[in-house]
Amino acid sequence: MNRRVVARYLFFLVLFIFIAPCFVTTVTISSNGDLAESTIKNGEHVMVLAYQAVLEAERAGANVSNLFTELNVASEYLAQAQILYRVGDLDNATRFADLCSRTAEKVKSEADLVTNMARVESGTRLGFVMIGSAITACSISVAGLLSWRVFKRRYYQRVLMMKPEVVSDES
Amino acid sequence: MNLEDYRTLFAATTLALVLIATLPTVGMIVSIPSGKEQFSELWLLGPTHMAEDYPFNVRVGEQYRLFVSVGNHMGYSAYYLVYAKFRNQTDPLPDTLDATPSPLPALYEFQAFIMDGETWEAPLTFTFLNVSRLGNSSVVSEMSINDVVFSVNCSSNSGYYQLFFELWLYDTSLQEFQYHSRFVGIWLNVTD
Repeated sequence: MNRRVVARYLFFLVLFIFIAPCFVTTVTISSNGDLAESTIKNGEHVMVLAYQAVLEAERAGANVSNLFTELNVASEYLAQAQILYRVGDLDNATRFADLCSRTAEKVKSEADLVTNMARVESGTRLGFVMIGSAITACSISVAGLLSWRVFKRRYYQRVLMMKPEVVSDES
Repeated sequence: MNLEDYRTLFAATTLALVLIATLPTVGMIVSIPSGKEQFSELWLLGPTHMAEDYPFNVRVGEQYRLFVSVGNHMGYSAYYLVYAKFRNQTDPLPDTLDATPSPLPALYEFQAFIMDGETWEAPLTFTFLNVSRLGNSSVVSEMSINDVVFSVNCSSNSGYYQLFFELWLYDTSLQEFQYHSRFVGIWLNVTD
């Protein structure tokens, strides 16, 4: 009886030892796949945030050509990650997606900084241009008014200096 | 002209000059749309960087080179995605009327940020690695694009295949890539 129990126990133990690696491999592949997928998703998300930040910087009037160059490097990493994920190279897909996230995050923070600087700069420039325009407009108005007065005075002088024309009355 | 006419002329001239003086400020505050047509371009160049010598009769194991280019005239810096897809003569192409992409899976892809008025280009090399033949028909099992090997399993009764590229554009309002109704491709006659 005891021998039968021990034999059964040994049978299940051996069976478990042979089957266990299959479960472990499946779980490992699945978790690698999940990790790669989530890292790529994160890469895509960070990339979009970086793109929006660079667009904002561009709208604020900043020079963003360097930021776009860096963003293109990040996009190459992301494309590579997508391709490798498609062919099943999950480790490298994760690595490239991670590189993409890091590069895009760097671009985003640089873009935010550049946007703030550009906003301050454009605010200052707008202030100067507004003051310049206001001074010019006032000067033109005053000059217009003064020149009108001078013109009016000369006009009256000319009219007053006119002599009445003698017309012969033939009737 | 009497004095009233002169006064009107003076007032109008002064007002016009004042408006001209305020133009720089107005220009900085109000953005005027350019009104130009917004579009994107997608094209392929051959191995010599010209629109010629495109590979057509391709042999198994040999490497062929192309250049994929995109031009941005959208009026803003755009985020593009180019999918490389592979088909036989009966597989569906993108629908030009419905502006829908081909349902075939993408093999390779490029992503690029292109500033307005600028172009982008990337080299692409491809090799057919595993092709089996039976009479006139053939089956492409494996091909590599830019040194990445893809399982294709695409069969053709005539031996003709098409490598084509779809252009997608990131829509900032929808927050996703949308097919941009442009594709370009080359026909390939796979020989031994």
